Amino acid sequence: MSGLEIIKAGIYSTIQDKGRFSYMHLGVTNSGFMDEYAAFACNKLLKNEIHTNLLEILFPNVIFKVKAETTIAITGAKCEFFINNIPLDTWQAYKVKASDEIKIGKIQEGQRVYLAVKDGFDIEKEFGSNSTSMKEKFGGLNGDKLKNGDILPYKESTTFIKRKWKKSFLPKYEKEIVLRVILSYQYEDFDKEALDKFFSSIYTITPDFNSMACKLDGEKISCNISTLVSEAIAFGSIQIPKDGKPIILLKERQTIGGYPKIGTVLNIDCFKLAQMKPGYKVRFKKIGIEEAQQKAKEFLLTF
Amino acid sequence: MDIKIASVDSVIIYFDNKISKEISNKVKATYSYLKQLNNQDFIDIIPSYSSILISYNILRYDFKKIKEYLKKELENINYEEETSSKLIEIDVYYAEEVGLDLKRVATLNNISIDEVIKLHSSKIYDVYTIGFLPGFAYLGIVDEKIATKRLESPRKKTPKGSVSIADTQTAVYPKDSPGGWNIIGKTAFEFFDKNLKELSPIDINTKVKFNPISKEEFLNQGGVI
Repeated sequence: MSGLEIIKAGIYSTIQDKGRFSYMHLGVTNSGFMDEYAAFACNKLLKNEIHTNLLEILFPNVIFKVKAETTIAITGAKCEFFINNIPLDTWQAYKVKASDEIKIGKIQEGQRVYLAVKDGFDIEKEFGSNSTSMKEKFGGLNGDKLKNGDILPYKESTTFIKRKWKKSFLPKYEKEIVLRVILSYQYEDFDKEALDKFFSSIYTITPDFNSMACKLDGEKISCNISTLVSEAIAFGSIQIPKDGKPIILLKERQTIGGYPKIGTVLNIDCFKLAQMKPGYKVRFKKIGIEEAQQKAKEFLLTF
Repeated sequence: MDIKIASVDSVIIYFDNKISKEISNKVKATYSYLKQLNNQDFIDIIPSYSSILISYNILRYDFKKIKEYLKKELENINYEEETSSKLIEIDVYYAEEVGLDLKRVATLNNISIDEVIKLHSSKIYDVYTIGFLPGFAYLGIVDEKIATKRLESPRKKTPKGSVSIADTQTAVYPKDSPGGWNIIGKTAFEFFDKNLKELSPIDINTKVKFNPISKEEFLNQGGVI
């Protein structure tokens, strides 16, 4: 079969697209690429629809064998990247032909590498999406992460346009970032002292960080609500569990939950968070809904 | 009723902050109404006990506009009308060999195991919400004589098909999962099935009744002890 053969799958490489929508009322999570900036850019470099499926790679040493001519692009985390052992820059489109070997070596800055092929991988969607959801065993290839020997089929493409992401638009992967927060949900049930503490503290990302959620360590926040009737959880919601340590809920979050939420991280800042690692720091800063929506729209219109 | 911000591209409609049949009926009527609007700019509509979250296309609506739109639409809903609902009957093998907490539920409530089974299987339950796991439906409300608090420490694995009780609610685990609910029986009924177009035979407008069956019938239906 023509496509990309997985020689070394790495520890956690999955197929993702924009995500799975309109099944959340049945408890099915959205999934989808964690860093939409890098994923959209990767598709844009190939003139794909920005929501086209691609690979999200979290750990180093992933090797592919090319079985048919196409164009690929790599974005996201700064990493060692080779075609036939020749080191190359990422955030750029490259032509590859049958029997070429693509390798992602060490990941140096950031957390998630994206690799797309022209027009995406030719695999069937499950419930509207190719996104792999490990929880539901949906999407990807058999609802699972990549394994050695898997073949990701795509249609051969012989045209090539050399494209490169503008240097001034390359994201910086920093060890401390500010996450803009929209006051939402139960923020009125947190007293001024708790809100002040939340917005003036520095939090550390714990190892409890995956596509479902990012648990933080730092100042404990207390809430005046002890029990809350379970309700739907939006992308980026910051829930405050009983131990007072904030948890930011991400793409593969549970659909409903009963912890109070102090606010919601602006989606485009969640994409930056997706490139951070345990031990890195975050701070929170308020943003009004009008400005937030303006920023989110500008983001979408960039692509 | 209150419409609040949930995120940059979602709002949440609150009907109250408690669990009750009356509120749940309002949620259901509103959910059905919003669905039939068939608004392509609604990305997800997620009902829960006393609220509904709507995520929307921000290239088409801002918060102010969606709030106005929803307010206006919600005025059209007639909450008196009972939404049509389908009844799903689920066969359950109630026995201690699969109902690991059946005895606990009986003991804590000072009734016999037979009575637990009778009370649990004689009521028609409403679906309050679905979540936690795909196809995990929160059903209520159980007879107060069998309401039982959650386990002190959750099990690492509650087997798929376990019929269980937590406080006044009952549910079936659609797959193996950690969980702290009291298991009283087991069913071979699939709550979540990738082969179904709708993924699940239930939604919030379904009603559910449990029927006791023998071990033999359970095994014949493909049940696993």
